[in-house]
Amino acid sequence: MASNLRHVTSPLIENNPVTLQILGICSALAVTTSLSTALVMSLALTSVLCLASATVSLIRNHIPNVIRLIVQIIIIASLVIVIDELLQAYAFEISRQLSIFVGLIVTNCLVMGRAEAFAMRNPVWPSVLDGLGNGLGYSLVLIIVGSIRELLGAGTLLGYTILTPASDGGWFVPLGLMQLAPSAFFIIGLLVWAIRTHWVGQVETPKFSLIQQRSRG
Amino acid sequence: MNPAPSIWTSVTGVTLAQTVALVAPSVVTALANPTSYAVLLLTALLTVWFWEGLFAVLRKRKPGVHGITTALIIAVLAPPDLVLWQLAIALSLGVVLAELVFGGRGFGFLSPAVVAASLLVFSFPEVTLAPGKVNVALATIPGALLLLFLGLISWRILVGAAVGTGVLLMLSADGLNAPAIAAAMTFCLVFVVCDPTAASATNPGRWFYGLLTGGLIILFSDGPVPTTEGVVFAALIASIFAPLIDHLVVLVQARRWKTAHA
Repeated sequence: MASNLRHVTSPLIENNPVTLQILGICSALAVTTSLSTALVMSLALTSVLCLASATVSLIRNHIPNVIRLIVQIIIIASLVIVIDELLQAYAFEISRQLSIFVGLIVTNCLVMGRAEAFAMRNPVWPSVLDGLGNGLGYSLVLIIVGSIRELLGAGTLLGYTILTPASDGGWFVPLGLMQLAPSAFFIIGLLVWAIRTHWVGQVETPKFSLIQQRSRG
Repeated sequence: MNPAPSIWTSVTGVTLAQTVALVAPSVVTALANPTSYAVLLLTALLTVWFWEGLFAVLRKRKPGVHGITTALIIAVLAPPDLVLWQLAIALSLGVVLAELVFGGRGFGFLSPAVVAASLLVFSFPEVTLAPGKVNVALATIPGALLLLFLGLISWRILVGAAVGTGVLLMLSADGLNAPAIAAAMTFCLVFVVCDPTAASATNPGRWFYGLLTGGLIILFSDGPVPTTEGVVFAALIASIFAPLIDHLVVLVQARRWKTAHA
């Protein structure tokens, strides 16, 4: 059980899909202008990931190797369509804000990567836990980025005013930058920096280095 | 093989030369609004030196004072009524993200002053950068000649940018008001576009970089006279392309050399 739990806890920070493997960056940039969209996207991706991992793992011994990617994509795409329809039916406004990015979960490297790297080779229960862990790791980054961007960019969290903006008589001046895509890059970059300062093992060996630095050791 | 290291070829020498070149335009800007300029410059200097000092301590290196050029440039570009905390935030992000995370002056690929000025405009929609003035432009010329003489800025970039701007303006219906354009652009051209760490470093690349910047300046400016925002954004985009331009130039030259020596 302890080893199974490891599948859930390891991808949270030390093996985080976004900050270590740099997967799923596209949606992490696009849907984090507010916390609510980030939360819904996290929920959608985590459920797709768990269900896809379970399904792929269930039939892993019956998938012909040459067409395995096609089978995986069909499974993921079907799940994404179901989630997308559910969102449109029960949370239309959020679904409109998320626009194409729920549909694009099909092409999210994270989902494909876990199906190919883990679910194809492992039993159902560990696969589900692995999907859950990676989904939660992705969600954690999205929630952090979404909170920072909404709080500093609009002074609100989940639509509730936390910092009263100067235009309404408060002191807070919203940072317009936070509502633009580059700020998500900055925040993810700073997160990666912070994590790799603490978990030094994640630092990649540089491809190039200066001669003086090399001789200095 | 290498020439003997002198003060002018070291990073400190470059900073020193740029600082000397920046004195005249800074004084002219200061004379217009002495108090607000002094406060802005002091805030800018404290901000950049705080981050440089912090990084020097954390990375166990000798503290640098290269931020002085960033502070001097941003103090000329900033409007006199700029709110100080806005300057401090934009400058912190600019200095840290464009320079210090890469390892300090000379290791990044963007000018920290350009990034700070761009973030200032992106983040605070009500902020407009100070437009280029005639007296600042005139005061820039001696410094520009010094930097040209020391090889720290390239005449190819200056001419390329002037040609790019001129051609695009002549094509448009607005016509060419050369003195006004020169006044609006000179300071930014010398200290922002020609930044030695951000601009292209190969001679053919410098032509492309200059032409690209000159064209983008008109694209990003509203009307017949370039705005400071337009020049800053043009420099930002062009310096992102500068490594690619240099890479292609080196590829072409290597191929030419190989065929000649095959």
